[in-house]
Amino acid sequence: MIPFNLVRAESLEEALDLLDRQPPDVKIIAGGTDLLVELRSLSPREKGPGIVLDITPIDELKGIEDNGSTITIGPLTTHREIAASPIIREHAPLLSTACSTIGATQHRNIATIGGNVINGSPAADSVPALIVLDAEAVFKSKNGERVSPLKEIFVKPYRTDIKEDEILTALRFERLPEGARSSFIKLGRRNALAISRMNIAVIIVLEGNTIVEARISPGSATPLPDRIKAAEKILIGNEPSEELFRRAGKEVSGEMINRSGIRWSTPYKQPVIAALTTRALREAVEKR
Amino acid sequence: MEIILTVNKQSRKVEVRPAETLLDLLRRLGYKSVKYGCGEGACGACTVIMDGRPVNSCLILAVTVDGREVTTVEDLGTIQKPHLLQSAFVESGAVQCGFCTPGMIMAAKALLDRNPSPSEDEIKEALDGNLCRCTGYVQIIEAVRLAARRMKAEKKKN
Ligand SMILES: Cc1cc2nc3c(=O)[nH]c(=O)nc-3n(C[C@H](O)[C@H](O)[C@H](O)COP(=O)(O)OP(=O)(O)OC[C@H]3O[C@@H](n4cnc5c(N)ncnc54)[C@H](O)[C@@H]3O)c2cc1C
Ligand code: FES
Ligand code: FES
Repeated sequence: MIPFNLVRAESLEEALDLLDRQPPDVKIIAGGTDLLVELRSLSPREKGPGIVLDITPIDELKGIEDNGSTITIGPLTTHREIAASPIIREHAPLLSTACSTIGATQHRNIATIGGNVINGSPAADSVPALIVLDAEAVFKSKNGERVSPLKEIFVKPYRTDIKEDEILTALRFERLPEGARSSFIKLGRRNALAISRMNIAVIIVLEGNTIVEARISPGSATPLPDRIKAAEKILIGNEPSEELFRRAGKEVSGEMINRSGIRWSTPYKQPVIAALTTRALREAVEKR
Repeated sequence: MEIILTVNKQSRKVEVRPAETLLDLLRRLGYKSVKYGCGEGACGACTVIMDGRPVNSCLILAVTVDGREVTTVEDLGTIQKPHLLQSAFVESGAVQCGFCTPGMIMAAKALLDRNPSPSEDEIKEALDGNLCRCTGYVQIIEAVRLAARRMKAEKKKN
Protein backbone atom coordinates (compact mmCIF):
# COMPACT_ATOMS: atom_id res chain seq x y z
CA MET A 1 0.00 0.00 0.00
CA ILE A 2 1.22 3.50 -0.75
CA PRO A 3 2.46 5.32 2.35
CA PHE A 4 0.37 7.95 4.13
CA ASN A 5 0.19 9.62 7.49
CA LEU A 6 -2.57 8.66 9.82
CA VAL A 7 -4.38 10.81 12.34
CA ARG A 8 -6.84 9.30 14.81
CA ALA A 9 -9.40 11.89 15.82
CA GLU A 10 -10.64 11.49 19.38
CA SER A 11 -13.44 14.04 18.98
CA LEU A 12 -15.58 15.50 16.22
CA GLU A 13 -14.09 18.90 16.93
CA GLU A 14 -10.56 17.63 16.43
CA ALA A 15 -11.55 15.98 13.14
CA LEU A 16 -13.32 19.11 11.86
CA ASP A 17 -10.32 21.26 12.86
CA LEU A 18 -8.01 19.09 10.83
CA LEU A 19 -10.30 19.10 7.80
CA ASP A 20 -10.55 22.87 8.09
CA ARG A 21 -6.78 23.32 8.09
CA GLN A 22 -5.78 21.05 5.22
CA PRO A 23 -8.74 19.97 3.19
CA PRO A 24 -7.31 18.76 -0.16
CA ASP A 25 -4.87 16.27 1.27
CA VAL A 26 -7.06 14.50 3.81
CA LYS A 27 -9.14 11.37 3.33
CA ILE A 28 -11.55 10.14 5.97
CA ILE A 29 -11.53 6.47 6.92
CA ALA A 30 -14.36 4.70 8.75
CA GLY A 31 -14.58 0.91 8.32
CA GLY A 32 -12.05 1.11 5.49
CA THR A 33 -13.64 -1.64 3.41
CA ASP A 34 -13.92 0.66 0.40
CA LEU A 35 -11.07 3.04 1.10
CA LEU A 36 -8.34 0.48 1.79
CA VAL A 37 -9.21 -1.46 -1.35
CA GLU A 38 -8.97 1.82 -3.27
CA LEU A 39 -5.64 2.84 -1.69
CA ARG A 40 -4.17 -0.59 -2.30
CA SER A 41 -5.01 -0.34 -5.98
CA LEU A 42 -2.91 2.83 -6.37
CA SER A 43 0.56 2.31 -7.82
CA PRO A 44 3.47 3.84 -5.91
CA ARG A 45 3.73 6.54 -8.54
CA GLU A 46 0.15 7.70 -8.12
CA LYS A 47 -0.69 10.35 -5.57
CA GLY A 48 -2.68 9.14 -2.62
CA PRO A 49 -3.96 11.14 0.31
CA GLY A 50 -1.24 12.72 2.42
CA ILE A 51 -3.25 12.11 5.56
CA VAL A 52 -5.81 9.46 6.34
CA LEU A 53 -8.13 10.67 9.07
CA ASP A 54 -9.49 7.87 11.23
CA ILE A 55 -12.82 8.93 12.71
CA THR A 56 -13.68 5.59 14.33
CA PRO A 57 -12.76 6.71 17.88
CA ILE A 58 -15.51 9.39 17.78
CA ASP A 59 -18.33 8.00 19.90
CA GLU A 60 -20.89 10.65 19.03
CA LEU A 61 -20.92 9.36 15.44
CA LYS A 62 -22.05 5.89 16.55
CA GLY A 63 -25.36 4.34 17.41
CA ILE A 64 -29.07 4.46 16.70
CA GLU A 65 -31.53 6.79 18.40
CA ASP A 66 -35.31 6.87 18.29
CA ASN A 67 -37.08 9.88 19.77
CA GLY A 68 -40.53 8.45 19.15
CA SER A 69 -40.93 9.80 15.64
CA THR A 70 -37.50 10.35 14.10
CA ILE A 71 -34.78 7.73 13.94
CA THR A 72 -31.19 8.96 13.79
CA ILE A 73 -28.30 6.72 12.80
CA GLY A 74 -24.69 7.71 13.41
CA PRO A 75 -22.56 7.23 10.28
CA LEU A 76 -20.13 4.95 12.11
CA THR A 77 -22.86 2.43 12.94
CA THR A 78 -21.93 -0.89 11.34
CA HIS A 79 -24.15 -2.91 9.05
CA ARG A 80 -24.24 -5.65 11.66
CA GLU A 81 -25.51 -3.24 14.31
CA ILE A 82 -28.21 -1.89 11.99
CA ALA A 83 -29.29 -5.37 10.88
CA ALA A 84 -29.63 -6.46 14.51
CA SER A 85 -31.15 -3.26 15.96
CA PRO A 86 -34.61 -3.76 17.50
CA ILE A 87 -35.45 -0.12 16.68
CA ILE A 88 -34.65 -0.56 13.00
CA ARG A 89 -36.31 -3.97 12.84
CA GLU A 90 -39.50 -2.53 14.19
CA HIS A 91 -39.69 0.86 12.50
CA ALA A 92 -37.67 0.45 9.30
CA PRO A 93 -37.37 -3.31 8.75
CA LEU A 94 -36.32 -2.98 5.13
CA LEU A 95 -33.16 -1.12 6.18
CA SER A 96 -32.32 -3.94 8.56
CA THR A 97 -32.75 -6.42 5.69
CA ALA A 98 -30.69 -4.26 3.32
CA CYS A 99 -27.77 -4.01 5.76
CA SER A 100 -27.90 -7.74 6.47
CA THR A 101 -27.20 -8.43 2.78
CA ILE A 102 -24.04 -6.33 2.59
CA GLY A 103 -20.83 -8.27 2.00
CA ALA A 104 -20.03 -11.14 4.34
CA THR A 105 -20.09 -11.33 8.15
CA GLN A 106 -16.49 -10.12 8.19
CA HIS A 107 -17.48 -6.93 6.34
CA ARG A 108 -20.66 -6.23 8.25
CA ASN A 109 -18.68 -6.27 11.50
CA ILE A 110 -16.59 -3.26 10.47
CA ALA A 111 -18.16 -1.59 7.42
CA THR A 112 -20.31 1.43 8.25
CA ILE A 113 -23.47 2.89 6.81
CA GLY A 114 -21.79 6.30 6.45
CA GLY A 115 -19.06 4.76 4.31
CA ASN A 116 -21.66 2.95 2.22
CA VAL A 117 -23.47 6.23 1.53
CA ILE A 118 -20.45 8.49 0.92
CA ASN A 119 -18.67 5.98 -1.28
CA GLY A 120 -21.56 6.64 -3.65
CA SER A 121 -21.62 3.31 -5.46
CA PRO A 122 -24.81 2.78 -7.51
CA ALA A 123 -24.79 -0.73 -5.99
CA ALA A 124 -24.66 0.41 -2.35
CA ASP A 125 -27.33 -1.70 -0.69
CA SER A 126 -28.33 0.60 2.17
CA VAL A 127 -29.03 3.50 -0.17
CA PRO A 128 -32.31 2.43 -1.88
CA ALA A 129 -33.69 1.56 1.57
CA LEU A 130 -32.69 4.99 2.92
CA ILE A 131 -34.13 6.66 -0.20
CA VAL A 132 -37.59 5.13 0.26
CA LEU A 133 -37.41 6.09 3.93
CA ASP A 134 -36.96 9.67 2.65
CA ALA A 135 -33.81 9.97 4.75
CA GLU A 136 -31.89 13.18 5.32
CA ALA A 137 -28.13 13.47 5.56
CA VAL A 138 -26.57 15.79 8.12
CA PHE A 139 -23.08 17.17 7.45
CA LYS A 140 -20.93 19.19 9.78
CA SER A 141 -17.94 21.40 9.15
CA LYS A 142 -16.11 24.00 11.17
CA ASN A 143 -18.58 26.51 9.67
CA GLY A 144 -21.71 24.77 10.85
CA GLU A 145 -24.27 22.22 9.83
CA ARG A 146 -25.88 21.36 6.50
CA VAL A 147 -28.93 19.15 6.12
CA SER A 148 -29.87 17.69 2.76
CA PRO A 149 -32.38 15.15 1.51
CA LEU A 150 -30.21 12.08 0.98
CA LYS A 151 -31.36 11.78 -2.61
CA GLU A 152 -29.81 15.12 -3.46
CA ILE A 153 -26.28 14.41 -2.31
CA PHE A 154 -25.54 12.01 -5.19
CA VAL A 155 -23.83 13.85 -8.05
CA LYS A 156 -22.69 10.96 -10.20
CA PRO A 157 -21.67 7.35 -9.59
CA TYR A 158 -19.03 7.27 -6.82
CA ARG A 159 -19.43 10.98 -6.19
CA THR A 160 -21.49 12.83 -3.59
CA ASP A 161 -21.65 16.57 -2.97
CA ILE A 162 -19.82 16.32 0.37
CA LYS A 163 -17.40 19.23 0.75
CA GLU A 164 -13.75 18.69 1.56
CA ASP A 165 -14.14 20.12 5.05
CA GLU A 166 -17.33 18.21 5.90
CA ILE A 167 -18.07 15.03 7.80
CA LEU A 168 -21.33 13.13 7.47
CA THR A 169 -22.58 13.18 11.07
CA ALA A 170 -26.03 11.60 10.86
CA LEU A 171 -28.63 9.92 8.71
CA ARG A 172 -32.21 10.38 9.85
CA PHE A 173 -35.72 9.53 8.80
CA GLU A 174 -39.22 9.24 10.17
CA ARG A 175 -40.44 5.93 11.59
CA LEU A 176 -42.63 4.10 9.10
CA PRO A 177 -46.28 4.98 9.76
CA GLU A 178 -48.79 2.46 11.15
CA GLY A 179 -50.03 0.20 8.41
CA ALA A 180 -46.90 0.61 6.32
CA ARG A 181 -45.35 -2.50 4.84
CA SER A 182 -41.93 -2.67 3.32
CA SER A 183 -39.57 -5.01 1.56
CA PHE A 184 -35.99 -5.08 0.31
CA ILE A 185 -34.80 -7.71 -2.14
CA LYS A 186 -31.28 -8.07 -3.47
CA LEU A 187 -30.12 -10.09 -6.36
CA GLY A 188 -26.50 -11.13 -6.29
CA ARG A 189 -24.38 -13.43 -8.34
CA ARG A 190 -23.44 -15.15 -5.12
CA ASN A 191 -25.03 -14.48 -1.83
CA ALA A 192 -22.54 -12.43 0.11
CA LEU A 193 -19.43 -11.36 -1.66
CA ALA A 194 -20.84 -10.26 -4.96
CA ILE A 195 -21.64 -6.60 -4.67
CA SER A 196 -25.27 -6.50 -5.62
CA ARG A 197 -25.96 -5.68 -9.19
CA MET A 198 -29.59 -5.00 -8.57
CA ASN A 199 -31.82 -4.54 -5.61
CA ILE A 200 -35.14 -2.95 -4.85
CA ALA A 201 -36.64 -1.22 -1.84
CA VAL A 202 -40.37 -0.65 -1.54
CA ILE A 203 -42.76 0.78 1.02
CA ILE A 204 -46.50 0.78 0.68
CA VAL A 205 -49.11 2.12 3.08
CA LEU A 206 -52.56 0.55 3.06
CA GLU A 207 -55.80 2.00 4.34
CA GLY A 208 -58.28 -0.81 4.42
CA ASN A 209 -57.40 -2.55 1.21
CA THR A 210 -56.40 0.57 -0.72
CA ILE A 211 -52.84 1.64 -1.33
CA VAL A 212 -52.63 5.24 -0.17
CA GLU A 213 -48.88 5.72 -0.38
CA ALA A 214 -46.10 3.99 -2.31
CA ARG A 215 -42.36 4.48 -2.47
CA ILE A 216 -40.11 2.51 -4.80
CA SER A 217 -36.35 2.78 -5.31
CA PRO A 218 -34.25 0.36 -7.35
CA GLY A 219 -30.48 0.02 -6.82
CA SER A 220 -27.86 -0.50 -9.56
CA ALA A 221 -30.56 0.35 -12.10
CA THR A 222 -30.36 4.11 -12.51
CA PRO A 223 -27.24 6.30 -12.61
CA LEU A 224 -28.35 8.10 -9.45
CA PRO A 225 -30.43 6.73 -6.58
CA ASP A 226 -34.02 7.94 -6.76
CA ARG A 227 -37.64 7.04 -6.21
CA ILE A 228 -39.58 6.01 -9.31
CA LYS A 229 -42.60 8.25 -8.98
CA ALA A 230 -44.27 7.04 -12.19
CA ALA A 231 -44.41 3.50 -10.81
CA GLU A 232 -45.59 4.73 -7.41
CA LYS A 233 -48.49 6.58 -9.08
CA ILE A 234 -49.71 3.38 -10.70
CA LEU A 235 -50.18 1.87 -7.25
CA ILE A 236 -51.80 4.73 -5.38
CA GLY A 237 -55.59 4.56 -5.05
CA ASN A 238 -55.71 0.91 -6.09
CA GLU A 239 -56.12 -2.41 -4.35
CA PRO A 240 -53.08 -4.69 -4.29
CA SER A 241 -53.14 -7.27 -7.06
CA GLU A 242 -50.64 -9.28 -9.05
CA GLU A 243 -51.71 -7.42 -12.19
CA LEU A 244 -51.13 -4.03 -10.56
CA PHE A 245 -47.71 -5.07 -9.24
CA ARG A 246 -46.71 -6.28 -12.68
CA ARG A 247 -47.61 -2.94 -14.19
CA ALA A 248 -45.57 -1.14 -11.54
CA GLY A 249 -42.64 -3.47 -12.27
CA LYS A 250 -42.85 -2.70 -15.98
CA GLU A 251 -42.87 1.00 -15.22
CA VAL A 252 -39.68 0.68 -13.13
CA SER A 253 -37.86 -1.14 -15.92
CA GLY A 254 -39.10 1.42 -18.46
CA GLU A 255 -37.85 4.24 -16.26
CA MET A 256 -34.50 2.47 -15.90
CA ILE A 257 -34.08 2.56 -19.67
CA ASN A 258 -35.20 6.19 -19.86
CA ARG A 259 -32.53 7.18 -17.38
CA SER A 260 -29.66 4.81 -18.20
CA GLY A 261 -30.19 4.26 -21.92
CA ILE A 262 -29.78 0.92 -23.62
CA ARG A 263 -26.58 -0.81 -22.58
CA TRP A 264 -25.03 -4.23 -23.05
CA SER A 265 -26.67 -5.33 -19.82
CA THR A 266 -30.16 -4.02 -20.64
CA PRO A 267 -31.63 -7.23 -22.11
CA TYR A 268 -30.81 -8.92 -18.81
CA LYS A 269 -31.57 -6.10 -16.42
CA GLN A 270 -34.90 -5.03 -17.89
CA PRO A 271 -36.97 -8.15 -17.12
CA VAL A 272 -35.07 -8.76 -13.89
CA ILE A 273 -35.75 -5.37 -12.32
CA ALA A 274 -39.41 -5.63 -13.36
CA ALA A 275 -39.71 -9.06 -11.73
CA LEU A 276 -37.83 -7.93 -8.61
CA THR A 277 -40.17 -4.98 -8.19
CA THR A 278 -43.25 -7.18 -8.56
CA ARG A 279 -41.84 -9.68 -6.10
CA ALA A 280 -40.95 -6.99 -3.53
CA LEU A 281 -44.44 -5.48 -3.70
CA ARG A 282 -46.02 -8.91 -3.29
CA GLU A 283 -43.72 -9.67 -0.37
CA ALA A 284 -44.52 -6.35 1.29
CA VAL A 285 -48.26 -6.97 1.14
CA GLU A 286 -47.95 -10.53 2.39
CA LYS A 287 -45.91 -9.51 5.41
CA ARG A 288 -47.77 -8.78 8.65
CA MET B 1 3.19 4.81 15.90
CA GLU B 2 3.10 2.71 19.02
CA ILE B 3 0.08 0.58 19.87
CA ILE B 4 -0.77 -1.98 22.51
CA LEU B 5 -2.89 -4.92 21.47
CA THR B 6 -3.65 -8.36 22.80
CA VAL B 7 -2.88 -11.26 20.48
CA ASN B 8 -3.94 -14.70 21.65
CA LYS B 9 -4.32 -13.49 25.25
CA GLN B 10 -0.85 -11.98 25.26
CA SER B 11 -0.47 -8.23 25.53
CA ARG B 12 2.00 -6.76 23.07
CA LYS B 13 3.41 -3.29 22.61
CA VAL B 14 4.43 -2.78 18.98
CA GLU B 15 5.56 -0.06 16.62
CA VAL B 16 3.43 0.08 13.45
CA ARG B 17 3.53 2.04 10.23
CA PRO B 18 0.41 4.09 9.38
CA ALA B 19 -0.24 2.14 6.17
CA GLU B 20 0.34 -1.26 7.75
CA THR B 21 -2.66 -3.58 7.88
CA LEU B 22 -3.48 -5.90 10.75
CA LEU B 23 -2.66 -8.75 8.37
CA ASP B 24 0.82 -7.35 7.70
CA LEU B 25 1.38 -6.82 11.42
CA LEU B 26 0.27 -10.29 12.50
CA ARG B 27 2.46 -11.98 9.92
CA ARG B 28 5.39 -9.74 10.89
CA LEU B 29 4.89 -10.80 14.51
CA GLY B 30 5.04 -14.44 13.46
CA TYR B 31 1.37 -15.40 13.34
CA LYS B 32 1.78 -17.04 9.96
CA SER B 33 -1.56 -18.87 10.09
CA VAL B 34 -3.09 -15.59 8.92
CA LYS B 35 -2.97 -15.75 5.14
CA TYR B 36 -2.73 -13.10 2.44
CA GLY B 37 -5.11 -14.25 -0.27
CA CYS B 38 -6.54 -11.29 -2.14
CA GLY B 39 -5.75 -8.28 0.03
CA GLU B 40 -9.13 -6.78 -0.71
CA GLY B 41 -11.71 -8.44 1.45
CA ALA B 42 -12.86 -10.99 -1.08
CA CYS B 43 -11.46 -14.35 0.08
CA GLY B 44 -11.52 -14.53 3.88
CA ALA B 45 -8.09 -16.21 4.12
CA CYS B 46 -6.97 -13.43 6.48
CA THR B 47 -9.93 -13.85 8.87
CA VAL B 48 -9.13 -13.36 12.56
CA ILE B 49 -11.40 -12.75 15.53
CA MET B 50 -11.29 -9.19 16.86
CA ASP B 51 -13.14 -8.46 20.10
CA GLY B 52 -15.26 -11.57 19.57
CA ARG B 53 -16.17 -10.99 15.92
CA PRO B 54 -14.65 -12.29 12.70
CA VAL B 55 -12.99 -9.63 10.52
CA ASN B 56 -10.79 -9.53 7.44
CA SER B 57 -7.41 -8.46 8.79
CA CYS B 58 -6.39 -7.22 5.32
CA LEU B 59 -9.04 -4.48 5.55
CA ILE B 60 -8.04 -3.13 8.95
CA LEU B 61 -5.26 -0.66 9.65
CA ALA B 62 -3.03 -1.97 12.42
CA VAL B 63 -3.05 1.42 14.16
CA THR B 64 -6.78 1.12 14.75
CA VAL B 65 -6.36 -2.14 16.65
CA ASP B 66 -4.83 -0.23 19.57
CA GLY B 67 -6.43 -1.54 22.77
CA ARG B 68 -8.22 -4.41 21.08
CA GLU B 69 -8.03 -8.15 21.37
CA VAL B 70 -7.20 -10.40 18.43
CA THR B 71 -7.34 -14.19 18.19
CA THR B 72 -5.71 -16.32 15.49
CA VAL B 73 -5.65 -20.06 14.87
CA GLU B 74 -2.37 -20.29 16.83
CA ASP B 75 -4.49 -19.85 19.96
CA LEU B 76 -6.78 -22.80 19.28
CA GLY B 77 -4.74 -25.94 19.39
CA THR B 78 -1.49 -27.68 18.60
CA ILE B 79 -0.65 -30.69 16.45
CA GLN B 80 -0.53 -32.83 19.59
CA LYS B 81 -3.69 -31.34 21.03
CA PRO B 82 -5.85 -29.93 18.27
CA HIS B 83 -9.03 -27.92 18.92
CA LEU B 84 -12.24 -29.83 18.13
CA LEU B 85 -12.74 -27.65 15.06
CA GLN B 86 -9.27 -28.53 13.82
CA SER B 87 -9.69 -32.27 14.24
CA ALA B 88 -13.16 -32.12 12.67
CA PHE B 89 -11.70 -30.33 9.62
CA VAL B 90 -9.04 -33.02 9.24
CA GLU B 91 -11.42 -35.93 9.71
CA SER B 92 -14.06 -34.54 7.37
CA GLY B 93 -11.62 -34.02 4.51
CA ALA B 94 -12.21 -30.27 4.75
CA VAL B 95 -8.51 -29.52 4.23
CA GLN B 96 -6.70 -29.99 0.95
CA CYS B 97 -4.07 -27.35 0.21
CA GLY B 98 -4.91 -25.74 3.54
CA PHE B 99 -4.60 -22.12 2.46
CA CYS B 100 -8.19 -21.22 3.31
CA THR B 101 -8.30 -23.35 6.45
CA PRO B 102 -7.17 -20.89 9.16
CA GLY B 103 -9.66 -18.30 7.93
CA MET B 104 -12.43 -20.88 7.69
CA ILE B 105 -11.71 -22.12 11.19
CA MET B 106 -11.72 -18.63 12.69
CA ALA B 107 -14.99 -17.78 10.94
CA ALA B 108 -16.47 -21.06 12.19
CA LYS B 109 -15.13 -20.48 15.71
CA ALA B 110 -16.72 -17.04 15.86
CA LEU B 111 -20.00 -18.63 14.83
CA LEU B 112 -19.89 -21.48 17.35
CA ASP B 113 -18.86 -19.14 20.18
CA ARG B 114 -22.15 -17.30 19.69
CA ASN B 115 -24.34 -20.08 18.38
CA PRO B 116 -23.36 -23.59 19.55
CA SER B 117 -26.02 -25.34 17.42
CA PRO B 118 -26.13 -23.56 14.07
CA SER B 119 -28.38 -24.69 11.25
CA GLU B 120 -26.87 -25.52 7.89
CA ASP B 121 -28.01 -22.12 6.58
CA GLU B 122 -26.40 -20.36 9.52
CA ILE B 123 -23.13 -22.17 8.85
CA LYS B 124 -23.28 -21.24 5.18
CA GLU B 125 -23.95 -17.64 6.04
CA ALA B 126 -21.10 -17.49 8.52
CA LEU B 127 -18.66 -18.92 5.95
CA ASP B 128 -20.02 -16.93 3.05
CA GLY B 129 -17.01 -14.62 3.04
CA ASN B 130 -14.48 -17.46 2.88
CA LEU B 131 -13.45 -18.96 -0.44
CA CYS B 132 -11.97 -22.42 -0.90
CA ARG B 133 -10.53 -23.43 -4.25
CA CYS B 134 -10.02 -27.07 -3.41
CA THR B 135 -12.64 -28.83 -1.35
CA GLY B 136 -15.99 -27.68 -2.68
CA TYR B 137 -17.40 -26.56 0.71
CA VAL B 138 -19.52 -29.65 1.45
CA GLN B 139 -16.81 -31.14 3.64
CA ILE B 140 -16.20 -27.80 5.32
CA ILE B 141 -19.83 -27.43 6.32
CA GLU B 142 -19.83 -31.03 7.51
CA ALA B 143 -16.71 -30.33 9.59
CA VAL B 144 -18.36 -27.39 11.33
CA ARG B 145 -21.41 -29.51 12.10
CA LEU B 146 -19.24 -32.31 13.48
CA ALA B 147 -17.28 -29.87 15.63
CA ALA B 148 -20.49 -28.31 16.93
CA ARG B 149 -21.82 -31.74 17.97
CA ARG B 150 -18.58 -32.67 19.70
CA MET B 151 -18.25 -29.32 21.45
CA LYS B 152 -21.75 -29.73 22.82
CA ALA B 153 -21.08 -33.29 23.98
CA GLU B 154 -17.88 -32.11 25.64
CA LYS B 155 -19.72 -29.34 27.46
CA LYS B 156 -22.29 -31.79 28.79
CA LYS B 157 -19.52 -33.97 30.22
CA ASN B 158 -17.97 -31.05 32.10
C1 LIG C 1 -15.50 -7.96 -0.60
C2 LIG C 1 -16.43 -6.79 -0.45
C3 LIG C 1 -17.80 -6.98 -0.57
C4 LIG C 1 -18.68 -5.90 -0.46
N1 LIG C 1 -20.02 -6.14 -0.59
C5 LIG C 1 -20.89 -5.09 -0.55
C6 LIG C 1 -22.29 -5.30 -0.70
O1 LIG C 1 -22.76 -6.44 -0.85
N2 LIG C 1 -23.11 -4.22 -0.69
C7 LIG C 1 -22.64 -2.96 -0.51
O2 LIG C 1 -23.43 -2.00 -0.50
N3 LIG C 1 -21.32 -2.72 -0.33
C8 LIG C 1 -20.43 -3.75 -0.36
N4 LIG C 1 -19.08 -3.51 -0.20
C9 LIG C 1 -18.59 -2.14 -0.10
C10 LIG C 1 -18.32 -1.62 1.33
O3 LIG C 1 -18.11 -2.67 2.24
C11 LIG C 1 -19.47 -0.74 1.84
O4 LIG C 1 -19.67 0.32 0.95
C12 LIG C 1 -19.20 -0.20 3.25
O5 LIG C 1 -20.40 0.18 3.85
C13 LIG C 1 -18.25 0.97 3.28
O6 LIG C 1 -18.17 1.42 4.62
P1 LIG C 1 -16.74 1.65 5.33
O7 LIG C 1 -17.03 2.10 6.71
O8 LIG C 1 -15.89 0.46 5.19
O9 LIG C 1 -16.21 2.85 4.43
P2 LIG C 1 -14.72 3.47 4.20
O10 LIG C 1 -13.98 2.58 3.27
O11 LIG C 1 -14.10 3.75 5.50
O12 LIG C 1 -15.15 4.81 3.51
C14 LIG C 1 -15.77 4.86 2.24
C15 LIG C 1 -15.81 6.31 1.75
O13 LIG C 1 -16.64 7.11 2.55
C16 LIG C 1 -15.94 8.17 3.14
N5 LIG C 1 -16.50 8.29 4.51
C17 LIG C 1 -16.74 7.28 5.39
N6 LIG C 1 -17.38 7.74 6.48
C18 LIG C 1 -17.54 9.09 6.30
C19 LIG C 1 -18.15 10.12 7.10
N7 LIG C 1 -18.74 9.87 8.29
N8 LIG C 1 -18.13 11.40 6.61
C20 LIG C 1 -17.55 11.65 5.41
N9 LIG C 1 -16.98 10.71 4.61
C21 LIG C 1 -16.98 9.44 5.05
C22 LIG C 1 -14.48 7.79 3.07
O14 LIG C 1 -13.65 8.94 2.98
C23 LIG C 1 -14.45 6.99 1.79
O15 LIG C 1 -14.36 7.83 0.68
C24 LIG C 1 -18.18 -4.59 -0.26
C25 LIG C 1 -16.79 -4.40 -0.10
C26 LIG C 1 -15.91 -5.47 -0.19
C27 LIG C 1 -14.45 -5.25 -0.03
S1 FES D 1 -6.69 -11.52 2.09
FE1 FES D 1 -8.17 -10.57 3.32
S2 FES D 1 -10.01 -11.24 2.45
FE2 FES D 1 -8.55 -12.02 1.04
S1 FES E 1 -8.22 -26.29 0.96
FE1 FES E 1 -7.25 -25.26 -0.66
S2 FES E 1 -8.28 -23.37 -0.68
FE2 FES E 1 -9.43 -24.50 0.69
